[in-house]
Amino acid sequence: MPLRVNPNLSTDFFAELQIVRRQQNQALQQLASGSRINAPSDDPAGAAALLENQSQSDQVDQFQKNIQDLQPQLQAADSALSSVVSAVTQAISLGVEGGNSTLGASNLQSLAQEVSGIRDEILGIANTSVQGQYIFSGTLTKTAPYVLDAASPSGVSYQGNTGVNSIQLSNGQTAPINLPGSQLFSNPGGDLFGALQQLITALQTGTGVSAATAALSQAFSLLDNVRTFYGTTLNEFNNSETFLSNESVQLSTQATQIAGADLAAATTTLAQTQTATTALLTSQGKALSLPTLFDFLP
Amino acid sequence: MSDLFSSLSLAVRSLLADQGAIEVTSNNVANVNTPGYSRQEAVFNETPPLQFGALQFGTGVELATISSDRDNILNIRLSQETQQQGKFDSLVNGLQQIQALFNPVAGTGLGASINTFFDSFQQLSTNPTDPTLRQGVLIAAGNLASAFRLIASGLGTQQQSLNESVVQQVGQVNDLTSQIAALNVQLAAAQVGTQSGNALLDQRTQLIQQLSQILDVQTINAGNGNVTLTTSQGVALVVGAQSFNLQTQVNPATGFQDVYAQGSDVTTAIQAGSLGATIQLRDQEIPALLTKLDTLASGIASAVNTQNQAGFDLAGNAGGNIFVPPAAGPGAALNLAVAITDPSQVAASSDGTIGSNGNALALASLANQNIAGGLTPAQFNAGLVAQVGSDTAEAQSQQQSAGLLVQQLQDQQGAISGVSLDEEAANLVRYQTAFDASAHVVSVIDELTQTVLNMAGAA
Repeated sequence: MPLRVNPNLSTDFFAELQIVRRQQNQALQQLASGSRINAPSDDPAGAAALLENQSQSDQVDQFQKNIQDLQPQLQAADSALSSVVSAVTQAISLGVEGGNSTLGASNLQSLAQEVSGIRDEILGIANTSVQGQYIFSGTLTKTAPYVLDAASPSGVSYQGNTGVNSIQLSNGQTAPINLPGSQLFSNPGGDLFGALQQLITALQTGTGVSAATAALSQAFSLLDNVRTFYGTTLNEFNNSETFLSNESVQLSTQATQIAGADLAAATTTLAQTQTATTALLTSQGKALSLPTLFDFLP
Repeated sequence: MSDLFSSLSLAVRSLLADQGAIEVTSNNVANVNTPGYSRQEAVFNETPPLQFGALQFGTGVELATISSDRDNILNIRLSQETQQQGKFDSLVNGLQQIQALFNPVAGTGLGASINTFFDSFQQLSTNPTDPTLRQGVLIAAGNLASAFRLIASGLGTQQQSLNESVVQQVGQVNDLTSQIAALNVQLAAAQVGTQSGNALLDQRTQLIQQLSQILDVQTINAGNGNVTLTTSQGVALVVGAQSFNLQTQVNPATGFQDVYAQGSDVTTAIQAGSLGATIQLRDQEIPALLTKLDTLASGIASAVNTQNQAGFDLAGNAGGNIFVPPAAGPGAALNLAVAITDPSQVAASSDGTIGSNGNALALASLANQNIAGGLTPAQFNAGLVAQVGSDTAEAQSQQQSAGLLVQQLQDQQGAISGVSLDEEAANLVRYQTAFDASAHVVSVIDELTQTVLNMAGAA
């Protein structure tokens, strides 16, 4: 007797149809989302890699945002210091003028007043605040760094501290973002406010103007040197921005490599499953309407 | 030598036999679409011949038995594979629900909340006195805590409903085993080779298949038409007329229902069928995930709290906890909560000065430190998602292969037991022709008898 076959054809048919439908759904999902991974089970290792990639790229975005948020503050500091530089230059030339022995006492007095005006201007600049934060008072950002103080030899007293904040520019790279006023305006190696006060007193008394002017020049060159910090940091910001945007592109390329759907393959699969479905349905339709022996009995 | 009347009774016997065979055929045709029906065959026997002197005369035919075409070994294999299929069907079902809680593509899971939380400290470092940025940290912390709670409670809810399902499935098992025991009794009394006996066998086979969907059951043919059913560990479920109910009992340690068979705990012994899968999900898969979630939650909470305590808040006071410190033991993820509502209490300062951002940076850098089970939070979370994904993928592929195997065995079973309308049509014609012929024989003998009677009348 020949091997008997299962007379019920439908069970095979439905199993096959399920397999084809599953492939079809997968292909459709990939085409719709553009991603090969629509649930962790589609590719567990890929899903994990994608999460780590996302975490890195979120960090990179945040680093970029750090830079963008701080750039205005650093630019404000940089341009404030430029104004200080030109004001001090003016004070030095006043000092040079005062050093000229032909000037009378009244002229010296008016020079002293001018220098005093410049000192007040610089004091105002040193007390610059950005978004309610004093940028030259170290980390005491809510305290104005300098106040006039007649008792002090420099005529002012520093209210800030020596604190320096840093931010992260990228993983493992941090950069300081501020210089305390104590390094800029009352640096022991060349005290700007002290030298200004010295010049004012010298002009008022008419003695030691040249020495005072020399002290001011020294303080000036120190300030001019120290303030390059802001330019350097802004440069570093620019470099980091370039680096970060490259990294961001790289990470998103990597994400596409991990999870990007092969659209051509998915389209082909979709077409194949459509053909397979049609073939299955056609054959099953025929199979269901196959005659039995009963149809031929009288 | 035989007489006309014995020829007549021979013809009548064959009429009866053919009529019986036609009945078997029509029963087959009627049950062509009945699930679990095994096709039946009329088995004819030649009746014993009669001896007349040196001659033997046949006495015709009888319908000896109605056999049913089944393969018991195949049925046992089918039962075993059905247990696997039942297991993986339920596993995939449960794991897909779990996976939905961890799917970053669908916007669930912890990844985004973890990243946003640590990035909020980075953002704070750019302007540590800004109240909006401080508030941002607390909002991100709140979102992270609620993401943990959402997943942990989602898993807990699922665990609870799996627990209820254990009780329901045990009820189904008991229902099925008592029906099978009742069928054992009926089968012992039923005559072998009758249609009613075959129908009872079909029923019992069907019930054993249904039982196999639920748990791993072993079938032993015990003779006398009885089957003995045991669990894979050998604990009796049905012995002859007796069925043994499984019981459920709350385990005080877990609060979940354990399964008992005749007084002994068989919970861990049930490895297959939907009940096996339910227990595996409830007692292994979900607790393992909850443990990992707890590790991650308490890792993040303690590291962040410790670091916040190392800094100073906006008022210059030493920092406190950002998260309510998780209690030891399970529940860290389920109960994760933010401890502070005042944004000024975020300790961004490293030295107590108002504008220092050193501690905010330190808090942000925790994102890249191994604070959760020896991994960074993002790595740990990625591992968690990978585990859920691979468990699901593995169960899916096993479900498919178990499905194909069952399909194949069902095909084989169909080849043996399925009703073919072509065969039945052919049989019907054969039996009808034989019936016609026997009827013709009866009428011929009737004529012969008339002839003999007429002879007697003429004499």
